Amino acid sequence: MAMTTIGIWVAAILTLAIYSFLYRDNPIYKLAEHILVGVSLGYFVGLYWHTTLIPKLWVPLVEGGNVLVLVPLAMGLLMLTRFSLRWSWLSRVPMAFVIGAGAGVSIPTAVDARVYRQIEATMIPLTSLSSVILVVGVAATLVYFLFSVRHEGALGKVATLGTWFLMVGFGATFGYTVMARISLLIGRMQFLLGDWLHLLAD
Amino acid sequence: MPDPRTEREHGFERPEPRRRLKNEAIARLGQVDRRILYLAIAVAVVGILFRPLGLRIPVTDEVRRVYDAIEELPARTPILISFDFGAPSMPELYPMTVAVVRHCFRRDLRVLGLGLLPEGASIGAEVLDSVADEMGRVYGVDYVHLGYKPQIEAAILGMGEDIVRVFPRDFRSQPTAEYPVMDGIENYRDIPLMVGFASGTEMVLWIQYAGARYGQRIVSGAAAVMATVFYPYLDSGQIEGLIPGLRGASEYEQLIGMTGRASRGMDAQSVAHLLIIGCIILGNVGYLASRSRRGEG
Repeated sequence: MAMTTIGIWVAAILTLAIYSFLYRDNPIYKLAEHILVGVSLGYFVGLYWHTTLIPKLWVPLVEGGNVLVLVPLAMGLLMLTRFSLRWSWLSRVPMAFVIGAGAGVSIPTAVDARVYRQIEATMIPLTSLSSVILVVGVAATLVYFLFSVRHEGALGKVATLGTWFLMVGFGATFGYTVMARISLLIGRMQFLLGDWLHLLAD
Repeated sequence: MPDPRTEREHGFERPEPRRRLKNEAIARLGQVDRRILYLAIAVAVVGILFRPLGLRIPVTDEVRRVYDAIEELPARTPILISFDFGAPSMPELYPMTVAVVRHCFRRDLRVLGLGLLPEGASIGAEVLDSVADEMGRVYGVDYVHLGYKPQIEAAILGMGEDIVRVFPRDFRSQPTAEYPVMDGIENYRDIPLMVGFASGTEMVLWIQYAGARYGQRIVSGAAAVMATVFYPYLDSGQIEGLIPGLRGASEYEQLIGMTGRASRGMDAQSVAHLLIIGCIILGNVGYLASRSRRGEG
C-alpha cells in the first residue's frame, strides 16, 4: 500500500515535470526526460536478460548442453563488430540472415493480407453510394500516383479528384490523432485529480 | 511612415479608422500564444471532469461487432487476448481492455492473455488479475497469463503450431501446460476468437500471420491514432470488429452496462474537440484578416 502511494506520488511529480515543458524548456523537464530514458534503458536490458538471454541461451547451453545455441550467440556477437572500423564488415553476416529470414517469412503473408485481400475488398458490386465512393476513391487515388504519365486533360481531372480523396484521408487521420492526444491529456488529468489528489468521484 | 509620437507632440493625431483597429484585432487571432491554447484546453478538460455533462455517445457498428463476437461464444470457450501496448497508450486502451476482459469473464470464457510488447504483458497481468479478483475468477482455471515473448512474428507464427511450445512457462514462471484452463488447447484451431489491443502496427502482424496464415478470427481494440490504419482491414473482413480509441472504449462500456474511465472522459473529449474546432475557425479568420490587411498595405 505504501509502495503504491509512493509510486503515485512519483508518477504525479514526473507528470507535472514533463508538462512544465508546455510553458518552456527547463531543467526540471530535462531531469524528468533523462530519468525516463535511463529507467527505460535499464528496464529493457533487465527484460531482455530475463526473457531472452537466460531462457534462450544460458539454460539450454548450461543446463541442457545444447551447443547449437552457440550459433545465434556468435551471430549476435558479430553484430557488435559494427563498433570497429576494421571488423565491421563481419556484421553483414547476421544482418544478411535477419533480412533474408525476415523477408522470407513476411513477404508471402504480407502480399496476401495487405495486397490481395485489400484488392479483393475493393472489387465489390456498385450497389450502394458507399461502395461507389470506395471504388471511385481507390481508382482516382491510384491515378494520382501514376507518375509516368503527365496529369493533363481527363487524366489530370481524375488525379485531382484523387488528391481530394487523399486530403479527406489525411483529415480523418489527423482528426483521430487529435482525439488520441486529447485522450492522453484526459487520462493524465484523471490520474492527477483522481488517483493522486482524490478530487474526482469514482 | 510618420511617427505617431511626433505627431502627438505637435498637437495633432490622426484618427485611427475603427475598421482598421477591428481588422488588427481579428488578425491577432491567428497569433495567439500557444500556451494560452494549452491553458484553455486544460481548463476545459479539468472543468468537465469535475462537472460532467452526461453526453450520450451512440454505439457504432464496428464496436457492436466486437461485443457480438464475444457474446455469441458459448461458456468455457477459450479466447486469446493480446495486450500489445505500453504506458503512453494506457489512457485510451486500458479502459477498453478492462471492459472486454470483464465481458469475457461475465460470459464465463476461458481467457488466455499475453503481451508481445514488454510493458503490455505487465499491463495485461494487472488488468486480468484486478478484473478476476473483482469477479471471483481463479488463475489457472478461468484464465492464464502466458507472459511476454520477444520477436513478435516468431511468437505469432509459433502459436499457430503449438502455444505451449512458445510459452512453456506463464507470466508467473509456472509450467503453462499444467493449468486446467489450457485443457484441449494446442493452437489457433482451438481458439475461436482472438482480441488484440494495439497502440501501433502490432495488430497488422496478427492479421498478417494469425489471420492470413492460420485463418484466426480477430477483433481489435486500437489507439485512435491507428484507427484509420485498421478500418481497411475491417472493411475487408480481416478483422471482424474494431474499438477505436477512448470513444470506442466508452461505447463498449455502454454495451456491457458499466461506467468506467472512458465514459467519464468522453464529455471532456467532446468539449475539448469543440474548443479545438473553435480555435481552428478563429485562427483561419485571423489568417484571412491578416492577408487582407497585407493586401491593403
